Amino acid sequence: MKNTDFDPNLAAWLGDSDALPVPDSLPQSLDQAYAASPPAEEASQAIRRLRQSLEEQLVEKIYFDTLEGTSLGTVFVAVGPRGLTALSFGVTEEDFLAQVEKRTGVRPVRAAEPTQEIEAQVSAYLAGERTRFNFPVDLESLTKFQRQVLEAAAEIPRGQVMTYSELARRIGRPLAYRAVGQALGRNPVPLVIPCHRVIAADGSLTGYSGGGGIKTKARLLALEGVHLL
Amino acid sequence: MSDKPEFDQLIERHGEEIFAYLWRLLRFTADAEDCFQETFFKGFKAFPRLQPPANYRAWLYRIATNTANSFLARQARLAKVTADLNLEILSDGPATAEIVDQRIALARVYAAVEKLPPKQRAALILRKYQGLSYNEIGESLATSTDSARAHVYQALKKLRAELAPHQNDTEG
Repeated sequence: MKNTDFDPNLAAWLGDSDALPVPDSLPQSLDQAYAASPPAEEASQAIRRLRQSLEEQLVEKIYFDTLEGTSLGTVFVAVGPRGLTALSFGVTEEDFLAQVEKRTGVRPVRAAEPTQEIEAQVSAYLAGERTRFNFPVDLESLTKFQRQVLEAAAEIPRGQVMTYSELARRIGRPLAYRAVGQALGRNPVPLVIPCHRVIAADGSLTGYSGGGGIKTKARLLALEGVHLL
Repeated sequence: MSDKPEFDQLIERHGEEIFAYLWRLLRFTADAEDCFQETFFKGFKAFPRLQPPANYRAWLYRIATNTANSFLARQARLAKVTADLNLEILSDGPATAEIVDQRIALARVYAAVEKLPPKQRAALILRKYQGLSYNEIGESLATSTDSARAHVYQALKKLRAELAPHQNDTEG
């Protein structure tokens, strides 16, 4: 329709021309039906309920997917609204899901898309094509101490190792090296937080939280150019 | 991954007007609120894939319009609306003949607007009552600025014919 065919008074009413609209039954009826806004209270309640449901939705959803055929075998990756929630290998799917559910209270559901970026980075890392990760990790369900330990471990650069007591000193708890070891043992995201870079004072590898135990630890260190054995 | 604070800002900035828009399109609070929640849920999911600098306002209106339109289609609302309006006219308390006439007139307006093609209906409300520019309406309806304007004009032309005074035929 050509604009010139259009009723100039309706155009004025719409604000499409500078002319002043004159009284007209159609605009009057439409204004009567639609000009009112919803009561402020209704709008603010709707917004409050929206925020609430969004919160609930966020807490609810954790997605997982598997990365097959890596040098560590099948790697399970779970991601929640705040980032990577869990990563595991050398375990069964059921064990992985149960672990995540126990820790977060949410059973992950399978979905490829949310974990895609993380999986790409993990594969590249294992293939030796990437030296660090660039995505958020969600440690919220852990205790403050566990988080401190893991955050300190995350700072150990690739190619280097640190002893349990050094790490304990690093977080200002020099006597807590045993607790440090336990916290590392519960690392929900091995590989990404490199607890494999933490070793005993005599240079032995002691335990490893990731699947495959000490062998895996040695293999990851070797991938990073550290040969202790 | 954590887009929550930014998305909160969008709710802060546009929540009220989007609610008003859906409230106008759907007229019943509960339906408006359902669509309002659905709109922002969809928005929240799609938000990380949005390329800035996007026009967030038009983007939200677009989701809201699609949500409302599919809601209306699902409900096959026309029949329901007419019935609801009849009920409203009867149940809104005692009324003088003049008030009843007013209610009937209002009911005709709602029925006529709801009979418009979805894009025309949305375009009209967006332009006149939500105050969007034709450019923004185009973005909200996934169409050009010119078509946005044409939708508004067509809507008014149809309403003019449909609501012409002394017209008794209500077409079903």
